[in-house]
Parts: sequence; C-alpha cells; structure tokens
Amino acid sequence: MTRLYVRWSVILVAGIVLAALASQYHARHLAALTPETVVATSPTGTAIRVIGMVQGGTLEGEVATGSLRFQLGGAHDVLPVQYQGPPPENLRELKTLVVIGRWIPETRTFVAHDLGLVANYGFVMAAYLAALIPLGLFVFGMERRVSLLYRDIKESKIYEPEASVHVDGT
Amino acid sequence: MISLVIKRLQRYEGWVGGAAALCLVTGLYLGLIASPPDYYQGEVVRIMYVHVPLAHTAMLAYGVLFGASIWYLWKRDPIVDNLAHAAAGISAFFTAAALVTGSIWAKPTWNTWWTWDARLVSFAVMFLILAGYLMMRTFVDDPEREARYAAVLAIVGFADLPIVHFSVEWWRTLHQPLSISMRGVSMSGEILVPLSVMSTGFTLLFGYMLMVRTQMLYLTRLLQAKKGRLLSHAHVAQSGPQVGSQPSSAH
Repeated sequence: MTRLYVRWSVILVAGIVLAALASQYHARHLAALTPETVVATSPTGTAIRVIGMVQGGTLEGEVATGSLRFQLGGAHDVLPVQYQGPPPENLRELKTLVVIGRWIPETRTFVAHDLGLVANYGFVMAAYLAALIPLGLFVFGMERRVSLLYRDIKESKIYEPEASVHVDGT
Repeated sequence: MISLVIKRLQRYEGWVGGAAALCLVTGLYLGLIASPPDYYQGEVVRIMYVHVPLAHTAMLAYGVLFGASIWYLWKRDPIVDNLAHAAAGISAFFTAAALVTGSIWAKPTWNTWWTWDARLVSFAVMFLILAGYLMMRTFVDDPEREARYAAVLAIVGFADLPIVHFSVEWWRTLHQPLSISMRGVSMSGEILVPLSVMSTGFTLLFGYMLMVRTQMLYLTRLLQAKKGRLLSHAHVAQSGPQVGSQPSSAH
C-alpha cells in the first residue's frame, strides 16, 4: 500500500508542477488583454496580446502589402491599431481576433506586428481536465482496490489449506 | 491457453504502465505546446489530441470485450470472463470521456454541446449498451448465467461498432469524415504526430488498465469464494450435525 501511495503522490506532484508551468506559460505567451485594460494601464515594454473585434468601416490599407489601420473594439473602449507585418489571412471587419504588438502611450496607438486567432483555451483546458482527472482517479481506484484485496486475501490466509469441519457432533 | 497468455502478460504490467505514462506525457507536450493551432479551428484543435484517442481506445476495448465474450461462450473460461468484464468497464469509461470531450469541442466549433448526428448517436448507443452490460453483471445472481447472458449481450451489441465507424461515410453528418482510411491520411504531420503519440499512450494505458482490472475482478471473486466457504463452515459448525452433510474439503 505504501508503494502505491508513494507512486500516486509522485504523479500528483508532477501533475501540480505541470499545471503550474502551463499556467505560467499561458500568462506569459497566450493570455490576451482587453482594449479597456490597455487604455487604463498603458502597458509598455514587452509585446502584448490584445483581444477585440475589428470595428466595421474602420479597416484601411492594402491587405496584400501587410500595412493596415483599423480600430479594435472591446466592451466599452476602442483601440486604434496600426498593423505592419505579414499579409494577414484572417483580418476582416467585424472579426474577433488577437493582435500582438506594443502600445505607444504618446500616440495612443497600438502598433501590431502579428495577428492570432481567438484562443478558446478555456474549452481546451476543460476537455483535458474532464478527461485526465477522472482517468487518474479511475486508475488509482483500481490499483488501490487490488492492493486492498491482496491484503484481505493475505489476512484471510486464502492460500493456506482450510481446516476441515467435523459435523458428526463428536 | 488464453488464461496462460493473460497470466504471462500480467508480468509486464509495470512496463506497460510506464510506457503508457511516458507516451502520454510526451503526447501532452506535443499536443498542448509544440504543435501549432489549426488554420480553421484555432487552439480548439488541441482537444482532438485527447478526444480521438479516447474514442479509439473505447472502440478497441469493445473489440476486446467482443473477442473475449466469443471465447468465453466457446471455452467457458472464467479468467476470460474476467477479462471481458474488465474490458467492458474500461470501455464504458473511455466512451463516456470521449462523449464529454467531444461535447466540449463541439461548443466552440459547432456552437452546440450536442446534436443528433449519426456518429454521436451511435457512439452514445455504444455507451448505453456498455452500461446495460455492466448492470446485467450486477443483477444476475448465478455467476455462470451472469457471464453467459453478458457475453451474449456484448456480442449482439457489437453490431453498433461498424455503425459508429462508418456512420460518417454512410450518412451526411456534421461530424468530419475519417481522417485515416484506405484512401490515405488527410491531415498534416503537425497534427498526426501528437495524435499518434497520444493514441499509442492511450492504447498502452488500456492494456495496463485491463491487466489491473482483470486482476481486481479475479481477486474479488477469489475472496468472495473464500468468504462463502468460511460462512458455510461457520453455518455448519453452528447448526450441528445434519443428515447427509459431509466434511468439507474445499481448497
């Protein structure tokens, strides 16, 4: 039984470490801010990801050249975006997408160099957790039951010959 | 013969479990981090790396249940019956998990959790057959009759498997058609590699789970038999001499 619990403790700790690393990776590379957050906090320095919808009637420039201007709308605020990068395949008006670039507080413009699709990481995480956690519990339950059965069998001395019962009353 | 094969294979239980864990960790890394998002589905494609192997493993487990049920009806080997019973429990679990993960994938992709699509319905029917099988194994008192009825149900229920597999070919369904078939492979290597690694991992995990569960069912029956004998001994000892009773020689 001790070996079983040690093995599963190692698996549990490894799972927690992996979850923490995945959470950090998500926060650094995949999480996206809203236009409201960008306007309110004016983040500078490293490249950030902003999610929003390309506002209707604001897309200007040539898609083929990869030099475009548009406004990215959130729930309340609108972010002016200047895109300069590879010709985008998914950019069109009224499309929700992620822009990757830097916020310039002086000009209050977001200079984007890349675009990304809406992530839907919540669904991905939900699917993996819904599959792997019950799977882990199922396997653990089976292994534990086998260990308990071995213990019970050992205690009941099942492999030893049973004493014969005399029923003649003498 | 097959009992001997099962017993020999169970020696490698730990190795199979270790290999499964290694494949699954590698597959999770490839599927969640190393592989790119899909052009149309985006990041949601990563759900495929767990959903598709779960569904394949569920069908593989049903295949084992089918084969073991035929073998049991032919040879009446209780170890093979344990194997069939174990495969049914594991298949039911994998089927349920595949349905849940598929539903989570369907919401962002089809904008619905469930639709009355031929593939989905036939797969849900498979789950109901397995649930019926497991219920039957608890309802019948006589172990021999229980095993026989369950084997017949498993064999009849196997008719659903070709329907599950070919439903996307036979009917116009929302579910995408077969990506790997006799016509070739219709997916990029970036998706195929993590999918193959995860599928291998889940197949090995199924092998490991089958060994553990078969052992579990065998030990449960062994213990029940022992307790039954002990109870009958105690009953005989308490009730005193009876006409026609014989000294027990059970081992």
